Amino acid sequence: MIFSPLIRRRRTSSRMLNSSSLKQEFLKKWIMGLQRCTSSNKNMSILERKKAIKLSADLAMASARNGRTSWSRAVIANASRESDKRILAERILQGPESEILLKKVSAMSVRMRSKKIVKRSCRSVRRSVPQKSLAANSIAKRLVQKRTHVLKSLVPGGEFMDEICLIEETLDYIAYLRAQVDVMRCIATAPELIIKRNSE
Amino acid sequence: MSSRRSRQSGASRITDDQIIELVSKLRQLVPEIRNRRSDKVPASKVLQETCNYIRSLHREVDDLSERLSQLLATIDADSAEASIIRSLITQ
Repeated sequence: MIFSPLIRRRRTSSRMLNSSSLKQEFLKKWIMGLQRCTSSNKNMSILERKKAIKLSADLAMASARNGRTSWSRAVIANASRESDKRILAERILQGPESEILLKKVSAMSVRMRSKKIVKRSCRSVRRSVPQKSLAANSIAKRLVQKRTHVLKSLVPGGEFMDEICLIEETLDYIAYLRAQVDVMRCIATAPELIIKRNSE
Repeated sequence: MSSRRSRQSGASRITDDQIIELVSKLRQLVPEIRNRRSDKVPASKVLQETCNYIRSLHREVDDLSERLSQLLATIDADSAEASIIRSLITQ
């Protein structure tokens, strides 16, 4: 396994993340983002508020990663690109720290898009498959290819990644998603628990 | 170096070595795979369970956002829940 030391070196930065400090970081950024959204618009509909909550949670998660992974940069880039999210996203991502992050993201996304064009033109030149490949083996390989394609659509920025990056980014992304879900669940269920405890 | 290797081979497929690494990491993260033996889990199954897991996490974020939005909608009401949320979210 020639590549494993390379990957292990890249991954230590994500493995060293302390779960509870990550959650604190996420919570702080999420609450700040949420306050920025709701302070100006007091009479949001439920749907609007849900979008604000979700967007500030996603952006908080991405900025907690500080632009060091592709998926986090893709989350921010996608939010700035979609017209209905852009205004909200800009409001959430205020401050000097976010300015640096946004500059990094826009620089990277230009590079990514040109990479995709190059990749597309390379893919059109296909090598012929050797005749000796077993039918069962090729079916399994095709299944892996299909599932990889699905995974690329699920991880933000996945379609720009090669296979190795995709796996690393997936692992990091899942860890952060879990932290996000845990924190959101705590906040959502805290009121009932507190009330129940006080009434006992 | 590793990306050069995959580019030279022409095909954009995940190799077995990478799958072994992925399985060992995913086993700790994805609940479905944790209870199975690593050598018995094929690559396609790992990828499928990973995709399902990510999808379920996305769904949960969506549900929780919905729930929180409804809670915040009662922020002007006098309920105890609203006041707790209010103190958490607003300044």
